[in-house]
Amino acid sequence: MFRYEIKKVFARTGGKVALLLLALALAAGCWMAADTYYVNENGDKEYGAAAAHRLRALQKEWSGTLDEEKLRLAIGEITALAATPQAQSQDVKENNIAFGRGQATYGIRGLLNDAFAVDFQTNDYYRAEHLTPAMAGDFYANRIRLLREWLTDERGNAYYRYSDAEKAYLLRQYETLETPFSYDYTNGWTRLFEWYPWIAMSTVMILGYLVCGIFSGEYQFRADAVFFASRYGRDKAVAAKVQAGLVIVTAVYWAMVGLYSAYVLAYYGADGISCPVQAASSYWKCLYHITIGQMYVLVVTGGYIGCLFISGLVMFLSASCRSAVAAVMTPFVLIFLRSFLEMTDSNVIEKAMGLCPDLLLQMNRTLCLFNLYEPGGKVIGAVPILFALYGALTALLVPTVYKAYRKGRDS
Amino acid sequence: MELRMTNVTKTFRDVNAVEHVSKTLESGVYGLLGVNGAGKTTLMRMLCTLIRPTGGTITWDGNDIFALGGEYRKMLGYLPQDFGFYPDFTVQDYLYYIAAIKGLRPTTARQRTDRLLEQVGLSKERNQKMKKLSGGMKRRVGIAQAMLNDPRILILDEPTAGLDPGERIRFRNLLSELAQDRIVLLSTHIVSDVEYIANEILLMKDGRIVLSGTSEELTAALLESVWICTAPSEQVGAYLQNYKVANVKTLQGNAQLRIVSPEPPAKDAAADIPTLEDVFLYYFGEKAGEEDVSL
Ligand SMILES: Nc1ncnc2c1ncn2[C@@H]1O[C@H](COP(=O)(O)OP(=O)(O)OP(=O)(O)O)[C@@H](O)[C@H]1O
Ligand SMILES: [Mg+2]
Repeated sequence: MFRYEIKKVFARTGGKVALLLLALALAAGCWMAADTYYVNENGDKEYGAAAAHRLRALQKEWSGTLDEEKLRLAIGEITALAATPQAQSQDVKENNIAFGRGQATYGIRGLLNDAFAVDFQTNDYYRAEHLTPAMAGDFYANRIRLLREWLTDERGNAYYRYSDAEKAYLLRQYETLETPFSYDYTNGWTRLFEWYPWIAMSTVMILGYLVCGIFSGEYQFRADAVFFASRYGRDKAVAAKVQAGLVIVTAVYWAMVGLYSAYVLAYYGADGISCPVQAASSYWKCLYHITIGQMYVLVVTGGYIGCLFISGLVMFLSASCRSAVAAVMTPFVLIFLRSFLEMTDSNVIEKAMGLCPDLLLQMNRTLCLFNLYEPGGKVIGAVPILFALYGALTALLVPTVYKAYRKGRDS
Repeated sequence: MELRMTNVTKTFRDVNAVEHVSKTLESGVYGLLGVNGAGKTTLMRMLCTLIRPTGGTITWDGNDIFALGGEYRKMLGYLPQDFGFYPDFTVQDYLYYIAAIKGLRPTTARQRTDRLLEQVGLSKERNQKMKKLSGGMKRRVGIAQAMLNDPRILILDEPTAGLDPGERIRFRNLLSELAQDRIVLLSTHIVSDVEYIANEILLMKDGRIVLSGTSEELTAALLESVWICTAPSEQVGAYLQNYKVANVKTLQGNAQLRIVSPEPPAKDAAADIPTLEDVFLYYFGEKAGEEDVSL
């Protein structure tokens, strides 16, 4: 039974088109993640995997514990480079040569810009050029200081947005980050994370289309009468459908993520897996204490739970409405739900927005959000809640789909 | 082996599709005859547990068929009037899949499929996609899928719709061959489908079974009620208005009429042997469907 359910999905032209779309989405994701360049000694841009490798070789030189000594060296190098005639020149070509020389410290420069920003929410690309090596000692303390200033600034929105307990929680998280942390070239991971939401969202939309036919197809083809009048039509054959849906979601999702990850990491290298995520400028403000490797696990399992939940909902709708239309729309609605909610300005809705299921499909971004909840008086971030909430909802959905479908239509 | 309907009623909002049907079916072929909208499909869907009666009960050997669930459906073969399938499946895959949801083991499924494809004359088409088959061929696959599990109860809703005359005869023969030791209930508008093979004919009208009996019993009731008479062509209109006319044949300015009426319609009218078509006309006031309408 199970085998034929799978066959039904992919025997249709629509099923084959969906596979093609998946392949296109994967190719597009890989292509965008692999879009990089390296500026050589002459100030010319080089592209492709070779460029990525040269950049890696350069930046690897700075890997290791990011202590005061290393920061001082980096500040020295960045400021010295900024003072060279090439950097000062009005000529673009000369500037490019200077940029090329700065590529080695590019990652640390980003972190310095973050740490020495004028305030928590500002980022100035040239900030690092105006530092002195003596300031290196303030690097980690600044991360905490900027947060504290932001939270206590009465003119800012954070002051009103967070309760005292939440503010204390945020500061505690920042204060307990182990420093100095180890730094490495992490382009493989950061680029992977950057385009992961594209992969997850396109996958879930196409999956929605694939799995809804499992249930609405019987009605669409008017094959439901024979189905439900068969011996297993109200139990095992329905279970086979649910199973086929789950297997398709699982197989397609992990194939997409596996191929995408393998490609991007092979392209850039998988260095930096054990660095804390804060060692990459994009995640400098992250309030969770996790390594890049742990972040990868959260990103892909979050995406899997999100895919399962959304596909489960699609299956439920197509099983109970007996039509594919509402079901196919579901992923779009869920993914853009927050954009609609954003238009309103209410505290409750803001809290609800922090728990929208699309956040699971973009864990890399979600991990950087300061969405906090206080269930039972204890402050926690949105991430564990998202996992628990949608894990539980998905577990509930599976038997619900089964029950909704086996009823058939009694009219 | 006894399928018993007691006071079975099905109401859709304001329509009483089936009303107080009580009937017990035992081994044999039952022909369910009725005009469009008589309630045949609704009754059959209830017998297949697809919809629940709004009143009354259906039991199999004393047990409610809805309570029996899978145990009952295990014995059931059903060809819906609106027979749908998976267009991209081959005939063979389709039958294997139906065999699987009917709980047949793969080896049994293969044997049954081979045999049935031969019986319905589709062995050559087994690897064709379902959507590529002609209407009549699809119907034959439908008949084959209903028979897959060698059902004790075979319910066929207009199985001969769309079959050509040759196929229709083949189907009739196949059915008489398969009818032994099972309940076969088939619905049709076409009298000749059931005239010879049905052990009992059930006439259904407005949701009720108004009459049942063997073909002989039903026609015997009309003895001395079927007449043949000849009239000038210009009087045909008047006859059509006043009598139930089964047939008009024109013969050189005159017309020969076949009329169902308790009284002779004319002095020179001669009584004829009643057929099931006449019975149909008598009870439904309209002619039965004809198998060769399109020929
Ligand atoms: N799902 C439904 N909802 C509402 N009314 C229905 C439904 N199904 C059938 N009916 C009504 O019930 C009555 C009986 O319909 P049914 O399909 O059982 O007739 P039938 O004898 O099979 O006719 P036909 O020879 O045209 O197939 C009709 O008046 C029909 O309109
Ligand atoms: Mg019908």
